[in-house]
Amino acid sequence: MSLRAAATLGWRIESNWADPLVFVVYALLRPVGQALILSGMYWAVAGQGASPERFAAFYLANAFHEYVVRVLIGMGWVVVEEREEYETLRNVCVSPIGLPRYLAGRSLVKFALATTSVVIVLGIGWAIGVRWDFGAVRWGWLALALPLGLAATLFAGFLVAGLALMMPRAAISANEGIAIGLYLLCGVIFPVDLLPRGLQELSLVLPFTWWYEALRRFILGAGASERLGTLSDGSLVLALAVTTALLGVVSRWGFRALERSARRSGRIDQATLF
Amino acid sequence: MTAASRIALDLRALRARAYVRIVGSIREPAWVVSDAVLPAFAMAAFVLLYRALGAPRSYETVAVIGGILSTYWLNVLWGMGAQLYWEKQQGQLALYFAAPCSRMSILAGMALGSILIVTVRSVIGIVIGFLVLRVPIGAFDPGALALVFVVTMAALYSLGMLFSSLFLLYGREAWHLCNAMVEPVYFLSGMYFPLRTLGALGAVAAGIIPLGLGTDAMRQVLIGEAARGLLPVRTEVALLAGLAVVLFVSARGALAYIERLSKHEGRLTQRWQ
Repeated sequence: MSLRAAATLGWRIESNWADPLVFVVYALLRPVGQALILSGMYWAVAGQGASPERFAAFYLANAFHEYVVRVLIGMGWVVVEEREEYETLRNVCVSPIGLPRYLAGRSLVKFALATTSVVIVLGIGWAIGVRWDFGAVRWGWLALALPLGLAATLFAGFLVAGLALMMPRAAISANEGIAIGLYLLCGVIFPVDLLPRGLQELSLVLPFTWWYEALRRFILGAGASERLGTLSDGSLVLALAVTTALLGVVSRWGFRALERSARRSGRIDQATLF
Repeated sequence: MTAASRIALDLRALRARAYVRIVGSIREPAWVVSDAVLPAFAMAAFVLLYRALGAPRSYETVAVIGGILSTYWLNVLWGMGAQLYWEKQQGQLALYFAAPCSRMSILAGMALGSILIVTVRSVIGIVIGFLVLRVPIGAFDPGALALVFVVTMAALYSLGMLFSSLFLLYGREAWHLCNAMVEPVYFLSGMYFPLRTLGALGAVAAGIIPLGLGTDAMRQVLIGEAARGLLPVRTEVALLAGLAVVLFVSARGALAYIERLSKHEGRLTQRWQ
């Protein structure tokens, strides 16, 4: 019940500045714009040897990266807004619902918005030629991989929110930085094989790298990375499950430690921006 | 007050606001991350996408130039467009309208300071693009580059001055407007691919948003034919100069309107309104 209340409150906070239609248009402009940028890059080089299958693999992962952007950055933003703009974070912290459950509730709205974005971006992709054979989709593996990636997104969101608790003024930059860092490190729009040694290994610790590769393989029939391409479907999903579980443990421990530290150092109500 | 003393006052206000912008930016090192490092990371991702697609290497240079100029657009949106809204939220906007100097001199100082600080920060993008990613670039004419840069900045920051008044009118929507005007504008301005790719759509967008024309002209100066330019550089410079004049005059009109509104209604400058 408290989860639902937090979700309802999240919807009202996020959408109360405009009517629902205008709000949805604004919410979708960014992911659609990003998808169109990728399309423009592909159109520019389409006649010069760029393969449509390869582009489809990157376009698909970019569409699903919206979950990471929306939920992960969004949970960090909840902390920033509640502390800096509305100055109500301390009230949330001392309320019976507690901060973790409140954040989980607020993340539900972000999951819903991200899902809408993913569907629309994939729909645009379908219209411009990013298509796949539904009969060839490996539904069983996909049903395992999809929720694992979504869980990883939520876990990472809690970590980002924890960091935001500890960084009153720099939290905005940190939120954005983590999202773009993941965009680069997880090989969303290029194979991780192109990353320099060291960064490649770091990317393999992150569940999102495995998630994007799994989504490509199970939906389109082929991944993007030669290095990950040698793994069987089961090994790929196992790697995704293990890295997600590890992130879950780090997230649970990390959020608690960061929240405790923020309370001790008086950062819960340290407004610095407005 | 004589015309000479009024001009002197406006110049002092311009210098003072530029100083605040520069010193304020230096005192906030975290902004370097959001203003320069993150766009450079996004640019790196796009360069790697071209490599993954097996595109000719000149496209990587196209993406790097666009990525470097994208930092100016972010600054136009958040550092100029949203600035009066920030000032209002911090309770300082009323002081702007009470000051004896011209409001345009304050905005011009803000723009000048922004251009200087973003240009310094763009070194990060240059290092990542040309030194780390080793994107190719040949010899170019620095004089032509400086001319195109100055005209592009004049047009871009005049648009920022116009946005600052318009965004203030929209209140809380300013935040969402800034967010909504990043990726769609990058697409319409061909920030990571030649503007010519968009055909007529690109040409129309270039006539409205100076970012696309400026980026296209700078690419042509830096890499010549490989930039696959939309129009000849001279034409683009002339169009940018025309846009700069139109946008500057519009910004002046919008600011005068905002000032009138703030005095008549008395609400515009109040926090939370």
